[in-house]
Amino acid sequence: MATSPGRIRADGLGFWYRTGVRPAFHDVSFDLPAGSCLVVVGPSGSGKSTLALAVAGLVPGEIPGEVTGTLTVEGMAGMVFQDPASQLVMERVEDEVAFGLENLGWLPEAMLSRVPEGLADAGLPGLERRRSQRLSGGQQQRLALAGVLAPRPRILVLDEPTANLDPDGAATFFERLGGLLDMKSATVLLVEHRVEAAWPLADLVLALDRDGTPIDVGAPGDVLARSGERMAAAGIWLPTETVAAVSGPRITAPDRSASPVVIADALRFGYERDVPVIRDVSVSIARGERVALVGPNGGGKSTLGRLLVGLLRPDRGQVHLAGHDPSRLKPAELARLAGYVFQDPESGFLANTVAEEVGLGLMPEEAARMPELMDRLDLPLASFGARSPYRLSGGEARRLSLAVALVRDPAVLVLDEPTFGQDRHGYEGLLRILRDRSDAGTTLVTATHDLRLVRDLDARIIEIEDGWLATG
Amino acid sequence: MIIARDLAPAQLDSPLGRTSPLLKLTISIVWLVGLATTVSVGPPLALALVTVAAGLTIGRIPRRDFARALAPLWLATIGLATFTTLFGAANGDPSAATIAQVGPFRITGAALAAGIGLGCRIAAIGAVGAVFALTTDSTRLVDSLVQQGHVPERFAYGALAAYGAVPRFSEDLATLRQARRIRGFRGDWHPRLLVSLLVLAIRHGDRMAIAMDARGFGSGPRSHYREIRWGWLDLVVAFGAVVTLVLALATR
Repeated sequence: MATSPGRIRADGLGFWYRTGVRPAFHDVSFDLPAGSCLVVVGPSGSGKSTLALAVAGLVPGEIPGEVTGTLTVEGMAGMVFQDPASQLVMERVEDEVAFGLENLGWLPEAMLSRVPEGLADAGLPGLERRRSQRLSGGQQQRLALAGVLAPRPRILVLDEPTANLDPDGAATFFERLGGLLDMKSATVLLVEHRVEAAWPLADLVLALDRDGTPIDVGAPGDVLARSGERMAAAGIWLPTETVAAVSGPRITAPDRSASPVVIADALRFGYERDVPVIRDVSVSIARGERVALVGPNGGGKSTLGRLLVGLLRPDRGQVHLAGHDPSRLKPAELARLAGYVFQDPESGFLANTVAEEVGLGLMPEEAARMPELMDRLDLPLASFGARSPYRLSGGEARRLSLAVALVRDPAVLVLDEPTFGQDRHGYEGLLRILRDRSDAGTTLVTATHDLRLVRDLDARIIEIEDGWLATG
Repeated sequence: MIIARDLAPAQLDSPLGRTSPLLKLTISIVWLVGLATTVSVGPPLALALVTVAAGLTIGRIPRRDFARALAPLWLATIGLATFTTLFGAANGDPSAATIAQVGPFRITGAALAAGIGLGCRIAAIGAVGAVFALTTDSTRLVDSLVQQGHVPERFAYGALAAYGAVPRFSEDLATLRQARRIRGFRGDWHPRLLVSLLVLAIRHGDRMAIAMDARGFGSGPRSHYREIRWGWLDLVVAFGAVVTLVLALATR
């Protein structure tokens, strides 16, 4: 019953979205033997995701556009996307795995044996009747993979499947992917920023430049030796890099004895009654301090961040932000004191163009800062100002959400996963700005899975797990 | 993260839980149509009582959950019944007999009857809805609509996926409001929120549609992992429902 993996060949392949001003990617050629793994890397906006969609047979078709060159994909392809919540179709775990089988008309008896097998392979046995929304992010993503693998596709396409996961969740996912490749059960195309986990799996690496032009394709070692410099210049993370390679001035150590600007005292909070997300958290953050909130998905990092700047009101306990209860401050005063960068950039957008989005509600002296800030964030107003905030690449949307908060120069800035999906240029730009702000006295609180950022910011770590402080 | 309350396995495996959701839906509609044919108090009261009894026995709905689900309903029932009684047009009719005087309000027998009749009707509708919701798994409902009701699959499973996205909606709205507040805008409500919410919903829908098509949805005839067939239980429940309705309509 096992199927053999299929071969993928691309010859001068390119794709233009109907709405695009240039091809998403072009002149891509590679020959991926059955059962091997191609890792696609490139800076944000280089067409990696579009290439993944093309190999999965979803572009064109789902999204109109024009293909150039040829692409031969041997056999059925399955695709895993970045966001677990927008790819799980059914309410319950077992129905999710069965969904793809039903679509292909599998017989009920065959499904009854295949579904538990798929769940066991994914490390989710015994969760058949569970609502998939109740699973952790890592479990959801393994469930998505199980659903895609159930009909035994010969090709598996993954577009940044671990971007939303905490380090443990990502490691487990990659372990599972490595197992699949060892068994040669599918040919894999993987788009991934987490190079340290993805490169060891690669038989071939394809590097794309900013404009969708291929930089190089070949065995990982060869590509690195031949084109490492060009890739680094394009903003691609390389597996050989260490944290020290990130340039920039060292930030000055914060003065921990400075008066606290944020004090949280015995906070308790839940979105539903009897389901606390924050159980009993007390923290004190000094003026100008840099703090990293770390911990697993669903542990309460984002919720705590929102409580600290008064976007949520605690059920019990108190928050003091520069001497005020932030949840009772007038919005105009709150905006002067605090900034917040939301985890999903799009979920915080309120305007029709990029320029309007950044300029929304600004004082004249704040508005004067706009052009320079946008240049530093690589979103120059001349070319981005008139575009819709919803029509940006993932990395661009993230930088816009940063601009919205940074333009006000608040005393306390809370950032929720500011680096995810960022290429190296985006990361370095962000880091430089955060360092400048910190040197100028801004207090930074970052909820993040990105340990590199924690080290580069030299931040105090506060670990939150299941609503409790693990260390303080 | 807000997630719909889970139904206990006891509820789902109870006789009402195993009854075809399509049949339960049909019974609910037939009962409500039947209620519309009468203005008296007896039939809705009888149906409400039978429904609650059925929910507790053959539905095995835990009393606590049931009471919680019905609580807003009782308030609405009492509120509307009181309102109708106090402000009923019949109170202004000088020929109608006064049966009570509450402060400035003169209450006539006709107004009281209308109030009680309306209250019982709301109670019946609410009880039927609550028992349906508390014994029916949404996935099973959609399976039943598709397999037994021949509702188009694209519509039915699309609706199920949309239903699953409802909690996401309220989260998006909360985040958008916070995004306004942190940028210095006062007020809980602004038309712009609706635009942003719509954009987010459409984008989520697009992504979901691509994910569904990526898994071969709509590529050919589907099979069913969970086959739903008509059974004896359905026949018994249908028979019971018809008898109950006839008897209820016979009360006066």
